[in-house]
Amino acid sequence: MDRPLRIGIVCPYHWDRPGGVQYHVRDLAETLRGLGHHVEVLTPAQHEESLPAEHVTFAGRTVPIPYNGSMASVQFGPISAARVRRWLREGHFDVVHVHDPAPPSIGLLVLMIAKGPIVATFHAATVRSKWLTAWGPVIRPWLERISGRIAVSDFARRLQVEHLGGDAVVIPNGVHVAPFADGPPLPGLTRGAGMPTIGFLGRYDEPRKGLPVLLEALPAVVRRHPDVRLLIAGRGDPEALQASIPPELRPHVQLLGELTEADKAAFLRSVDVYCAPNLLGESFGIILIEALAAGAPIVAADLDAFAAVLEDGEVGVLVRRGDPAALATALGDLLADPDRRADLSARGREAAWAYDWSVVARRVLAVYETVVLPGGGEVTASDDDADVIGATGPGRQPLRRRVRR
Amino acid sequence: MGLPVWTIVAGVVVLLLAVWTAWTLTRLRRLEARVDRARTALETQLRRRAALAAEVAREAAPLLGPERTAGLARAAAGARLPWTPDRELAENVLGRELRALVGELPQLAPALAADLSGTAQRVGLARRFYNDAVRDTAELRGRRLSRLLRLHARRPLPRYFDIDDSLGELVGTAGPGRS
Repeated sequence: MDRPLRIGIVCPYHWDRPGGVQYHVRDLAETLRGLGHHVEVLTPAQHEESLPAEHVTFAGRTVPIPYNGSMASVQFGPISAARVRRWLREGHFDVVHVHDPAPPSIGLLVLMIAKGPIVATFHAATVRSKWLTAWGPVIRPWLERISGRIAVSDFARRLQVEHLGGDAVVIPNGVHVAPFADGPPLPGLTRGAGMPTIGFLGRYDEPRKGLPVLLEALPAVVRRHPDVRLLIAGRGDPEALQASIPPELRPHVQLLGELTEADKAAFLRSVDVYCAPNLLGESFGIILIEALAAGAPIVAADLDAFAAVLEDGEVGVLVRRGDPAALATALGDLLADPDRRADLSARGREAAWAYDWSVVARRVLAVYETVVLPGGGEVTASDDDADVIGATGPGRQPLRRRVRR
Repeated sequence: MGLPVWTIVAGVVVLLLAVWTAWTLTRLRRLEARVDRARTALETQLRRRAALAAEVAREAAPLLGPERTAGLARAAAGARLPWTPDRELAENVLGRELRALVGELPQLAPALAADLSGTAQRVGLARRFYNDAVRDTAELRGRRLSRLLRLHARRPLPRYFDIDDSLGELVGTAGPGRS
């Protein structure tokens, strides 16, 4: 089956906000277009003008709800349903691919309205199991319509099997390896030359990203490597961060602020060790793959997702999560051992290629080609409004309860 | 004088039961269609695999020797049965023959080898999606209330399809074999 497919991809989160799922959808769509397929994307956004002119359709705005240390977005109702229906009718898709359809979002609306081959990817990055236990049975009737389920990690697959019923094939997130693998370092920062550097990247004011653990570990690292520098990149409030760093550590900490994609790659190519001290809540360590691709030796917390990417410690160092003493030892040892760093760097670069989009997109395409039957007809929108009305009845109550809480 | 309370309660219960039954029948009908589609997809991939195996038996006869060629051709021909446990056995025989080919894959015509590994991967996917549809059906049919109301009780329960399709793990996935 080598004919070009018409593929509709649904992203449930604001397109113009940075986020793993958004990048995943964008890169998957681009790679599939490069393989000769027609790909349309339906997504909410904060500003309709910020969407690309072609092949991306505006689906309205979501309502943000603070949840699990970050924001969950919710979008439901007749206007969104009408947009979904129009997009499905005009798209003439062979297959529709929804991402993270479990929260009340346009992904779930598509499941309610679309008829035909549907593929779903479960990222489950911001989903807690307590919530899924209550919510899973409610949405199960619509999840039953999915023909092929993909999970991005074993962790996401387990959540899926336990709470949403049904199995899923594991296809990891993709990364464009080449832009990370080749290029210059940040100006004035070359790996292995000058003062040793530790890199941290992420929203540093989110406690689950684990920066406090790293800051607690830093004094012990400074004792062994007096000229070490910790480079912090990402979004957050710089003043609050400065205030949280003890004065004697301040000379060792440098804030880089938010980086562009190109600078992020340069940053990862520059640091001597990349540290991911996250405490919880990561379904997939995309940043670790980027660091591997850039050849950065890694010290990471032993979250399941990180252990999977680092092949249980084969291509990076794993330490117990939330343990500053263990983290300090691992960082100190690695900074003191250039041979081990070179070895990890070489093995990491090789391991990263398995996650290159050229490989990952073909695996996703194999899923599409499996669920699209020859002569099976395109995806249509049901005229049956009862589908959606029936959904809002039982579906909305738990939502309101959650909002009130 | 109003209606006795028990009639109101009974009325509400009957109404809820009717709504639930209608909704569940809709779900079962949809699941039936999904099982059918998934079975067609799996059958398509299995047929393609058998056809490719027959082609390998024709093309690579000098490479494999008469005995293995005959075995492969026989296995490919055997994998055409209706859906019974015998079919699973026949597909397993074919799977074993194809797994034994892994070493020779580089010596086959590149297009044929690529087709073979791609199809092996898709057999694995299609089988998983089919069994998934069967599991969802069995779960809904097995509910106490569905059994009590005998929803779809006369229709045969779809069978799981269990074969060893691990060839896909060996050569079909270019990524880390963690599926």
